[in-house]
Amino acid sequence: MSTSGISNPERGKTLVLILTLLNMVLVASISALQVDASIRSNQANRDSQYYAIQVAGSLVQTGAQSDYDLNTFSKWLTDTQESLVASYSALQRQSANDQQGYERLTLESRIYQAQADQTKTLSVLLTDPAYAPASDQASPDMSAYLADLNATSLAIVQKQNGASDAYHRWSNKSDSYVALLTVLAIAFFLLGVAQMSRPNVRLLFSAFAIGVMGVGALWGLVLLIL
Amino acid sequence: MENSQGKEDRLSVWIAVLIALVSFTTALTTWRTASLGSKAGDLIYQGLLNAVKKQASANEDWSRTYQEAGYARDYLVTLSGLLVQENSTDPTSQEQAAQLRTYLLPGMKSLATPLGTDPSYFSPGGLLDVQKRFQDLENQSPDLSSLNPQTSFSQADTYYSEQRWLLLGTIIIAVSLFWLGLSQLEHLRPRLLVLVIGVIVYGFGLVWSLLVEVVFVILRGGVL
Repeated sequence: MSTSGISNPERGKTLVLILTLLNMVLVASISALQVDASIRSNQANRDSQYYAIQVAGSLVQTGAQSDYDLNTFSKWLTDTQESLVASYSALQRQSANDQQGYERLTLESRIYQAQADQTKTLSVLLTDPAYAPASDQASPDMSAYLADLNATSLAIVQKQNGASDAYHRWSNKSDSYVALLTVLAIAFFLLGVAQMSRPNVRLLFSAFAIGVMGVGALWGLVLLIL
Repeated sequence: MENSQGKEDRLSVWIAVLIALVSFTTALTTWRTASLGSKAGDLIYQGLLNAVKKQASANEDWSRTYQEAGYARDYLVTLSGLLVQENSTDPTSQEQAAQLRTYLLPGMKSLATPLGTDPSYFSPGGLLDVQKRFQDLENQSPDLSSLNPQTSFSQADTYYSEQRWLLLGTIIIAVSLFWLGLSQLEHLRPRLLVLVIGVIVYGFGLVWSLLVEVVFVILRGGVL
């Protein structure tokens, strides 16, 4: 039976105290890192939500804009076709020697044509060189129009995705730091038990605490680097 | 021998008092650090609320702008057809145009005003200047359109910055606890030197924390 513990009951207490204080510094440092990760997570979460609000607004605007633009284009198309139909019908009435019918349908055709001309000046799809048809037979470049229409929303969505990813990254890191602090709390517990134990058991608990602190320090380092 | 023991005891008491003081300072700076985080969180919440209000107002204005643009288009198109009818030689068509101008057009014009009637809303190419109309609508509700979420976010960032720097002060003060704790070990030599190191580190941490507080309060224009 060893008598060293009985001869010097204070043996190892200084080591336990130093380990406790070192653990405290480690906890303080990890707490600082946890707070920093938490701040970055909050900021990224804020940005993510702010961009989400903006993209919702952008979609409302583009929805109203596309509705107006496409309705205007549709109206131009309808008036143009109505004008053509009236014009052809007028020619047919003329062939049938129906002068009154010819004049009525010609007037109708002119009315529709005037409306189509007016609609054309109001349509971005028909006047903007970026989308306007190259010829009377061609259609507006809808792909370019839709791409331009959604460009702002897509750019905001990309920012929102980036912020959301950053939020998850920092949030996970913050959670890991909290877990690490829990591990270091175990080291505190082991050191507390060590301080109250017999000298030979004290050293054993101190060794366990050193192991836990080592794992904690290593984990903290990995989190810091990644 | 007894005199030396008495000195050691007095030193131990002073160290205990210092440790209590440092612990209290640590608690104080920790509270302040948490409080700063809370204030930053409140400002972010406020900023997001303002962003929602501002965006809701903008959404309403965009919807109204394009609704008015639709009315303006319908009015202008109807008017162009009406002019053809009025200028025709057909009495029936002229009569129909007169009826339309009397009974239909005023209502359409009323809905289309001002986008379809005010020349300042027409771009040189003939397109309706919806952006100008939107801006005018925004200007009609300055309490909502002038909300700036970024102001709250910037203020929140200053609180977060202060929180980071103050946390550094808290850690320095916590490190001083390490040295003060060591100086409490009676068999440690030179005990006084360890105590002095602890006091210096504590003083540095305290001055650091106070400086951080003063600098950021000045940066925020006197707001705590």
